[in-house]
Amino acid sequence: MEPAAPDDPDRPMTPDEGAFAEEGGLAPMEAADLQDHLLMACNDLDRLQRLLNDASDTLMGHFYGASGHLERALRLLSQLPANDQRHLHQAMEHLATVITSMQFHDIATQLLGHTTQRLRGCADRLAASALGDDDDEGTTVVTSFPNRPNPVTQDEMDAGSVELF
Amino acid sequence: MHSILAVDDSASMRQMVSFTLKNAGFAVTEAVDGQDALEKALARDFALVLTDQNMPRLDGIGLTRRLRETPKFRNTPILILTTESSDQMKQAGRAAGATGWLVKPFDPAKLVEVIHKVIR
Repeated sequence: MEPAAPDDPDRPMTPDEGAFAEEGGLAPMEAADLQDHLLMACNDLDRLQRLLNDASDTLMGHFYGASGHLERALRLLSQLPANDQRHLHQAMEHLATVITSMQFHDIATQLLGHTTQRLRGCADRLAASALGDDDDEGTTVVTSFPNRPNPVTQDEMDAGSVELF
Repeated sequence: MHSILAVDDSASMRQMVSFTLKNAGFAVTEAVDGQDALEKALARDFALVLTDQNMPRLDGIGLTRRLRETPKFRNTPILILTTESSDQMKQAGRAAGATGWLVKPFDPAKLVEVIHKVIR
């Protein structure tokens, strides 16, 4: 009978894997697989951050471009009766209210950074505990977990609270 | 014209704060973190400091503490504008000497209203 392939889920555990499993840990193959998934999730979050940066840059560029044109138009038409300038002022007011929602980039960036650090910490610890040190020096660089709770607790982009002391 | 020091490590946030405050008639100086803000604050006077909390090098509460140790900023309004909304953080800000705590995202009209209220 031929020996089972290493990735055969039905193969018997090696003595080392058996001891690890008895201690409640993961077998090295399972740990490596889980680490891969965690690192892929981190890479996807990095890509999401780049998409956010790109979208935010574009939005901000058009926002300031539009507000600049409106300001110039208001100056040019300042001699007109106030009623005739009403639509331009209303357009400026609409633009100003968009600022609250446009802060999504800062809030999402903080949330992504915190979550990515947490996932990388999990992946590194998993690798260090299940697979051992990764070089001859005997040291493994492990990403530290965030040292504070997630700073973002908002569920929507409504304006936040104001508290004067 | 009142001069305001706006501190945030996010370029987009600095742009939006500056846009809002300049439209309201304030002069705005930007700083990229607490350390940069401290250096700019010591070099000139500001009527108000509006700072983020979570920043590299020196955070908003640290900046507030350092500014309060400086005689010319002992009575200057310092507002912390941050995503952080826990009572623990707010109390830390208050203990450091902050004038108020604003949770992001800010509403432009409300921000200007609060600044007019606290500025002298």
